[in-house]
Amino acid sequence: MQALRRTLLPFVGFALVIALWWLTAVSGVVGERNLPTPAAVLDAGWTGLTTPDGLLVDIRLSVLRVLIGVVVGCALSLPLGFLLAWFPTTRAMFDPIVSFCRALPPISLSPLVIIYLGIGEDARLFVLIWAAFFASVVVLYEGIAAVDDIYVRAGRALGASEFEIFRRVIVPATVPQMFVAVRVALGVSWATLVAAELIAAQRGPGWSIQRAASFFRTEDVYAGIILIGFSALLMDMGVRLVQRRAVSWQERVVR
Amino acid sequence: MTGDISNARISFDDVRVGFGAGKKRKEVIDGVSFDLGPGEFVSVLGPSGCGKSTLLNMAAGFPATDSGEVRFDGERITRPESRRGVVFQQYAIFPWLTVEKNIAFGLTLKSNRRSRSEIDETVRRYIDLMGLGGFEKALPKELSGGMRQRVALARAYATDPDVLLLDEPFAALDAQTREFMQELLHEASRAERRATLLITHSVEEAIYLSHRIVVLGNRPTSVHEVIDVDVPWPRTPQSRLQPEFLEVRGHLEGVMRPLSGSTLRKAQT
Repeated sequence: MQALRRTLLPFVGFALVIALWWLTAVSGVVGERNLPTPAAVLDAGWTGLTTPDGLLVDIRLSVLRVLIGVVVGCALSLPLGFLLAWFPTTRAMFDPIVSFCRALPPISLSPLVIIYLGIGEDARLFVLIWAAFFASVVVLYEGIAAVDDIYVRAGRALGASEFEIFRRVIVPATVPQMFVAVRVALGVSWATLVAAELIAAQRGPGWSIQRAASFFRTEDVYAGIILIGFSALLMDMGVRLVQRRAVSWQERVVR
Repeated sequence: MTGDISNARISFDDVRVGFGAGKKRKEVIDGVSFDLGPGEFVSVLGPSGCGKSTLLNMAAGFPATDSGEVRFDGERITRPESRRGVVFQQYAIFPWLTVEKNIAFGLTLKSNRRSRSEIDETVRRYIDLMGLGGFEKALPKELSGGMRQRVALARAYATDPDVLLLDEPFAALDAQTREFMQELLHEASRAERRATLLITHSVEEAIYLSHRIVVLGNRPTSVHEVIDVDVPWPRTPQSRLQPEFLEVRGHLEGVMRPLSGSTLRKAQT
């Protein structure tokens, strides 16, 4: 029963939002041109996806970009996060720099990136990797700092060396946080990518939204936005699925 | 009864701990001395906030002493090592490892590495001693508080320590589980015969388990008195009703009441 509710309720949530949207669109308070009905958007999305060289190509391109950005960004941030958080010296030294770079909106780098790397794929990937790296390194870093000291002390009392404490206590204790780091990186990467595509790109869903808007095809704009949302949601669900298996030991607060 | 200095396993020698320096220095522990002999079970009993856990941490090797020293087999303790096993008040078994992997943990470290078959044998032995049969593959999240502490005890025993240091291991458990755990620990320590230092604020627990009880006073803490517990050995649930038990209990409760009261008053002001 509980499980059924948990699987059904998200759909109920979606259904409610769609119903509200439909009512608003049909009532005409915002004008038919401004707010298309869900059916029109579905139709536009379907057409977009099925046209050769259409939305499907755009979305595939973005998914690939985000994947590369997150994979490379997290591959760099995992070892560096541990390094930064574990040694007090490196932590003290790099803490402010990491915070600075994290606070910096990645998109603000694009003018510089364009100067150095041009406007090609390299530039976009650089910005994405940057975004994924700093988003995840901070989460990881906080996670390592938050490992309960009691486990470290228990490990030491059992005779663990400094390296064994790291490898057999700190690393496993931080695994849940690694997944959080990947999920945060995914979110930030999607946001950054679409923003970048809105400004300057040859292809991608951001670009197609921008183009549809300039022709005032609102149903295409909506279809693009929803498609981006679902792609991001699916990727997040994928990570959560792996997470649930990998950290089944984790105690969760049940409400 | 007091262990001879030369063969004491752990000896506290005029241990002092304080905060601040010079005139502003405030002593928290003000000259505590006592010994833990081989095979002896000693409880340190004191009101909360008197610094008894600090003493245990020193014996474990976590922080160094300010002055005076804690020695283990005659040598000054400077760092933790597996020859002194520790069980904490908080649940400190690793949540990502199963019961048997938690117990085996110490034996898979470089400093204490054993062969696979030796590890299996040891794990089996302590699973049985602690009544954990059937839970070998369970994760800590599936265990009750009492079971978790049994795993913690088994894990501490498994590395074959010379001394066991227990920091209020049952303080977070409900009254019934506590009594059961005391009985289990008593049976285990009779079978194991390892020198054990137990920190507790429970008079009943101290009497049930110990050969000797070191009663600490208020801050600045010093040894208030040392009592030999003459309740016949081995102890059983019936021991709690024996006249010797009740007599020591009456005495200790009389001693502890004013001590705890004044800590409370101090905390309130």
